[in-house]
This record gives sequence, structure tokens and C-alpha cells, in this order.
Amino acid sequence: MSGRNGLVSSAMLEPTVSQRLGRGALIVVALLFLGGFLILPVVAVFAQALSQGWKFYFESIRQEDVLSALRLTALVASIAVPLNVVFGIAASWAITRFDFRGKNLLITLIDIPLSVSPVVAGMMYVEVFGLHGWLGPWLSEHNLHVIFAVPGIVLATVFVTFPFVARELIPFLQAQGSDEEVAAVVLGANGWNVFWRITLPNIKWALLYGTILAASRSIGEFGAVSVVSGHIRGQTTTLPLEVEMLYNEYSFTAAFAAASLLTLAAIVTLVIKKMIEVTSGWHEAPGEEEVES
Amino acid sequence: MSIQIEGISKQYGSFSALSDVSMTIEAGELVALLGPSGSGKTTLLRIIAGLEWPDSGSILLHGEAAAQQSASRRGIGFVFQHYALFRHMTIFENVAFGLRVQTMPRRPARAEIRERVQELLHLVQLDSFAKMYPEQLSGGQRQRVALARALAVRPKVLLLDEPFSALDAKVRKELRDWLRRIHDELHVTTVLVTHDQEEALEVADRVAILNHGKVEQIGTPQAIYDHPASPFVYDFLGNVNLFHGRLLAELSLDGPTGGMESHVESVIGFVRPHELELSRNLPEGQKAVLASVVRIHAAGPRVRLELSITGNGRPVAAELSRQRSEQLALTPGEFVFVWPQSIRLFDDAGAAAHLLDQGAGI
Repeated sequence: MSGRNGLVSSAMLEPTVSQRLGRGALIVVALLFLGGFLILPVVAVFAQALSQGWKFYFESIRQEDVLSALRLTALVASIAVPLNVVFGIAASWAITRFDFRGKNLLITLIDIPLSVSPVVAGMMYVEVFGLHGWLGPWLSEHNLHVIFAVPGIVLATVFVTFPFVARELIPFLQAQGSDEEVAAVVLGANGWNVFWRITLPNIKWALLYGTILAASRSIGEFGAVSVVSGHIRGQTTTLPLEVEMLYNEYSFTAAFAAASLLTLAAIVTLVIKKMIEVTSGWHEAPGEEEVES
Repeated sequence: MSIQIEGISKQYGSFSALSDVSMTIEAGELVALLGPSGSGKTTLLRIIAGLEWPDSGSILLHGEAAAQQSASRRGIGFVFQHYALFRHMTIFENVAFGLRVQTMPRRPARAEIRERVQELLHLVQLDSFAKMYPEQLSGGQRQRVALARALAVRPKVLLLDEPFSALDAKVRKELRDWLRRIHDELHVTTVLVTHDQEEALEVADRVAILNHGKVEQIGTPQAIYDHPASPFVYDFLGNVNLFHGRLLAELSLDGPTGGMESHVESVIGFVRPHELELSRNLPEGQKAVLASVVRIHAAGPRVRLELSITGNGRPVAAELSRQRSEQLALTPGEFVFVWPQSIRLFDDAGAAAHLLDQGAGI
């Protein structure tokens, strides 16, 4: 078997010796990379967090500052994620179901948070809402605090997470087409009925998937939040910011203990994500065609 | 409910999907819109349904202008090419959907919905499938569910958009006959879009042939098949032989239809394969061309022959009854005289059509 034919048919036939070697080498490289750059650091986080024993670990977590950071992170996520779900459904619905001027612009705009550095995002909000920003004087006149306060953190988090739901839904809605919705309309259903009875049941897995991604990002966001937060301990410090502050104060073990919470959140996210994929049979075969029998 | 289509035009950018289309569909009629892809037939159907809006012209449903009515209020049943069943609902829920979403004063009671759905599943012979999901059904069964779903709301008009084109030939034929039986039972005004001429001619009361956004011809299947109004219709409705020729002077005078304009010289003659006569000997006074037999397809009720005209080598298809074929006992390679029993002539523009008797100057 020549090398070229072997490549083409390798899925079907017994691999040759050189193919086996090549395959083995690739797997080793991938595993080494994963081990060195991902698994080892994750293990290191927990090792460092527990380096002074479980007692110290729980004490570190139970510090008032850490707990308040945890509460703020949960609050921000619980505001940002629902906002993203609503925005994501509206944007992806508009993009896949209607033709309008500026549609391509909207698709591009949705991607901006993914391409722009989060620090820049934070600075944009400071420029708009900060004391010396465009809306700053008006806001302070009315005693409204956005920057260096919770609303600013929520805004920054919404900004960095808003592509996630929309980007999951757009390809899914495109692949699915609008036939079922049109059928429902012709049968006399109004928009409300079409959405709740037809669209939502069909996109529920994609929506959940995008929501999980958005939630995980909003819990972990650092850059944009760091700029608008003001780092006021116990008031405007989210969990990632608390980790950094502890670290900068040389409380390494406490910093890693807090960091381990974020790591756990990430692992939980991965597990949920995998469960969605398995139980729904979705994402492995997106936009599955209806095949004639 | 009758449908009046008056001067409908629709543009997509520079593409003219429909231009000034008018026709009337009588109450209880089954009309097929037949044409190649891009002929505008589906666009016309979607405009009737209220899923598209015409640039100009109007649709009257039972004499009332439909323009103000949205698709959900026109009382229309629509069957899609790819079924468009609700994949997350059982067959029962699919059929019940149109009843469940009706607003309160009109919405039937639960028991009533149940009864109506069972009645419809019985009509489409899927009684035992109520609890299944669409993906568990075959294509033919799914399309029957789609029809039941469309009929559940007692539509005044039933619109079908190439409903059988995704199915294999045998199922397609069964469903076609079955659709006709259902129509005869319910008498609901029905418009069927198809690109399958056999389907249109077999099922419909009347057929409208569309091409490039215009109605080429509308009439009963027989009228359309026997008297095609244009070369396009002739060509579209089945196998046909084309003969290019020049009209001889005496023909233009003696032609039975008379009045052929003298400037029409170059003509195209259309002859269906079964209208060709074949013989080894040339009868006296008969004008014919000489052709050689290339191939004989004898499987089937009719024998089809591939011929090649001696001289220019143009292929000609002929069709004989079994009896006639056995009489002739032709073999490939043999020479045979060929002449049309009837021929239909069109000038280059396809405009003037004159049905002539046999022997028109080929």
C-alpha cells in the first residue's frame, strides 16, 4: 500500500506500521501538551490550595471577604446570564428568520466582545459612565453609581458574555430552517404560540449549552470587571478579583483556595456541558437532515 | 371557496418570479400548477397562502380581497414539500396543533379535539401511529400526517407545495391516487404545485402550466395534452420529436387551418413518439423520411424504438403497440420509412401554431 492510498483509506483498512507510528506520535504529543499545559496546572491549584491542610482551606474560603466576593459573583452572573439569554434569542431569531438592512453588521457586532480585549471593554464603560465620562456628570447629579459599583460590573460582564448564547443559536436555527414555524403560522398560531410551542422546544438544548458557556464566562471574567470595579473589598470585588488581591498580598494559599472555587466551577460546567451533549444527542450531529425511508 | 388571482407580479431583485399572472380557481376544484423549477409556481402558491406578498395584483378568496388577511387568518391548509412536522410532538399532537392554538371562543373542547384528531388519523389511515414521533414514520406516512394536520382546522383552501417530490416513485403514485380520493370525499378547493407532469395530468381537474413567471396554458389535462398552446408546453408534457423544416408554399395554402401567414417559412414540427407511423414500404403518395433502427426497448406495454434519420443522423423516438411491433418485426440496423400521423407546427418564435394533417413538409 502506498503512502497516499494508505492515508485515504486508513479509516477502513488495517493501518500500516508507519501509520501506527504516526498515530502514536500524534497521541503522545497531544497528551504531553495537555498534561503540561492543562492538567498539571489544575492539579497544582488544588495542591497549593490544600498545602496547609483542609482546615486552613475551609477557613480561607470562609473569610468574610471571600464569601462576599462569592456572593457578588453569583449576583452578577444571575443578572448577566438571563440578559444574555433574552438578547441571544432575540438576536439569533432576528438574524435567521428575517432579512433586513444591516444584518451582516449585526452578525459582526455580536462577535466584537470575542475579538476585543476585555480591558478595552472595561475602559469603554469608564469612558461612558465614569465621573469624567459622557454620562458621568448626569449620573452623579442623580446620585447613580455605575463605575466602581455593582452596575458597572454587571454591564462589563454582560458585554463580554453576550456573544455566547447568540453564537450557539444562530447556526442551530439556520440548520433547522423555519418550515415548522411557517407551518404553525399557517395553522393559525400567533407569534407567542409559535415561540413557546415550536421554536423553544426545538432550540432548548442549544440554548442551555450557550447559557452554560455564558454563565461560566461571567463567573470567571477578570479583565473588564477589573477596570470598572475599583477593587473595594467586600463591595465591588468578584471572586477572580479577590484571587488576584489575595495573591498580591502574598496570601498564596488563601489565593489558591479561592482560585480552586473558580476551577471547580469550570469543571462543573464541563460536566454539565458533556451531559447535555450525551443526553440530547445534540452538537455531534447539528442540523441533522431528515432522511427518506 | 373560489380563488381569483388577478394580475399578480413578484420580483426578487432583478429576477421576475411572476409577471401579470391571472387565473380563477373554482370552489371545489383541484388545480395543479405545473412548471419547471424557477417558473414561479411555488411563489404563486405562497402568495395565495399569505406567506409572500405580491408586488402588484390581488388575490380574492371567495370574492373577498385577501391582502388584509395574514396567513394565520386565511383559513388555509398548507402541505410542505419536506412535511415540516413538529419533530418534538407526537403524531396526535401534530394533528391537534391547529385546533389547540385557536383563540378561546373558537377553540374546541378537549374531547372534541380528541375526536377530530382520531377521525383525521383514520382518514389518513394512521390510527395506530398517534403516540409515535415523526422521525419514527416513513416519508409517505409523514406526508399523510402533514395532510391530516392541514385538514384539522377545516380549511377552505388546501395548498400543496410539491408534496410528493421527496418520496420514491411507488409511494408517490399511491399518495397521488389517495389525494384524489380524499379530494373527491371532501371537495375542498385544492391547489397542487408540482414539476411532475404525470402527477399533474393524472390528479388535477385543470392544469396551469407556468414558465418564466407566466401562465403558458391552463385547461383540462386532456385539452392540454392534446392541444398544447406553445412549444414549451409540448416539450414539457412528455417525450416529443422535433423536426426542423421549411413550410412549402402549397402547404401554407392547403393547410386545414388555413390562414398561415406567408412570411412563416422556417418551422418546427412537434410529433409525439406514438404519433409516428413506421413501415418498410412507402404507401403511394405518402411523404416520409428514411431512418435506421438503432435500438428497440421491448420491455413494457409499449415498444419504444430509437431511430436515426438517414442523412442528418438526428435521433427520433417512436412508440408502437406490441401488436404493431410484432407485425413489423424490426431488427436493429434495419431501414424503415417514418412519417407522422399528426404534427403540430410552430414558427420560430413559438407563436403561431397550426395543427396540420399527416405529411406536413418535414
